[in-house]
Formats: sequence, C-alpha cells, structure tokens
Amino acid sequence: MIHVYGIVEQLDSLPPLAGVDDAPLERRRVDGLELVVSRLPGPVSNEIPREAVLRHAEVVEALMSRSSAVLPAQFGREFGDDDELTTVVRTKSGELERGLSRVRGCVEFGVRALGDAERAQADDKRSVSSGREYMQGRLAEARQRERLVAEVHEPLARLARADVQRAPTSRSGFTGAYLVPAESVTAFREGVMRVESVCPELTIVCTGPWPPYSFAGDREDQA
Amino acid sequence: MSIDERRALQQHQVTLLELVDRVLNGGVVLSGDITLSVADVDLVYLGLRVLLSSVATLEQQRDLALESVLR
Repeated sequence: MIHVYGIVEQLDSLPPLAGVDDAPLERRRVDGLELVVSRLPGPVSNEIPREAVLRHAEVVEALMSRSSAVLPAQFGREFGDDDELTTVVRTKSGELERGLSRVRGCVEFGVRALGDAERAQADDKRSVSSGREYMQGRLAEARQRERLVAEVHEPLARLARADVQRAPTSRSGFTGAYLVPAESVTAFREGVMRVESVCPELTIVCTGPWPPYSFAGDREDQA
Repeated sequence: MSIDERRALQQHQVTLLELVDRVLNGGVVLSGDITLSVADVDLVYLGLRVLLSSVATLEQQRDLALESVLR
C-alpha cells in the first residue's frame, strides 16, 4: 500500500523523520507534480490509528517548512501500487495545481467560538418541558449562530485569503478555518484579539498556524 | 491542579482535537477508496478518544512537558 502525505512544491529535501508505521519517506514525481509517500506492508489498521494520524501530521508539518507549498492529503486513503497512484494524480492534476496555487505562501488558522447561550445550555442539561420551550431554544441557537458569524467570522474572513465555515460541532457554536498569507499572520492574530475584546462574553479558541488542511481540495464550500 | 495548569492542559487538548479533525476530515482526497471510515464520526468524540489514549505517547515523542501538568 502507498500512503500519501501530500503534494509538495519545491521541496528542498525530505525531513529526517520516519513516516506512518515507521516506514521511510519517499518522493514520487508524476508529470509536473511531486508527492511525498510511504510504502506500507498493508493498510493502516481499522482501529483508530492514533499513532499513524499523529505521524502523518508531523510529516506534513515538516514538509511545510521545506517547501514553497504543501497540499496535505486526506488521511486514510491508501493506494494499492504506483500505477494506481499515477493514474489518480494525472486525473486530478488540474485540481491539485489549483490547490497548490491557492495555498502557496499561506497557513491555516482555526477558530471556534461559543456564546453565552451555549455555555448556559452545556451547564444545564435538563430536558425541556414543552414543545414551545424547545422551539424557543432552537430559535435562540439560530440567533446565536448568526451573531457569531457576524461578529467573529466576518471580521476574520476579511483578513484571510480564503475562509470556510466548518460543520459546527453543536447547533449554536461556530467553527471556521482561515487561509492566511504568512505575512498577515500577525494581523490575523491581532484580529482575533480584537474580536475577543469586543465580545468578552464569547469563548473564542484560535489554533494554528496549521498546514492548509481545510483548503487543500476543490470543494463547494471553499473559497 | 492550578487554574493555569488546567488551562494549559485544556489548550493542549483543543489543539490536539483540532489537529485530528484536520488530518482525518481535511486534506485533498486523492483516492476514491476510503480505508478508514471516519467521515461521519463526531470528531469531537473521536478526537477525545485519540487524546485520552495518546497523551502518554505524546509526552515521549514530542516533549510537550505535559507530565508536570498531569500530576
């Protein structure tokens, strides 16, 4: 099986790391595109392969500092052999090249925001007593979400090259990912602090810089 | 555990959760075959499972100085 870490552009050298399942890292060129892969004796096991997930992430991160652009590959999709890999990469070459141009020179930040309503709800898990109460609850959640989008997402999206609102983990919370040019990282962080100071009642968690996992593929919801 | 220690641990947990979420749900999809079916799993839950069982390994591998926090 071949495990793909990502598509790289101008990789100077492979990082001195072992890959998933301790397999060595290898470079593969398919037409104009270069990939970093590992050859595995079999598929990554069906159990949640936590070590493999972390190793994959570690390799992708190391590639970021040695390349002009990295398009991380989704974990958990192995190829049977080189021929199969070559065929798929050729078929997708347009998407992959677009992806590399999109993420070149950028890192990703993740932002999660949680409002008062949700915190209160998390603290208070008693069941609602009537349909009316339930509907009111849902309405409050929807309003809360709209507010988070207006007060958290929109100002941050203006500081990013691209943004995506990711599936919320709860109905009223908000989760966004932002593709930020390296030179704008400080401005983006300041933007997050500004939102925090304008909305002290919100819980805002910002993580990053990440490799551009949320902006690697052509998807409808990605700018 | 002091408030600062708890915060540091919480920050670490969130970061790990975000990482796992990205690795499993993000990235460009190259192959049509998925060898790991995680697409519809609630990743907060999944992330926490990964987290709970991997803290010890992380300590060794990444020198995250978690040990003092957990004690």
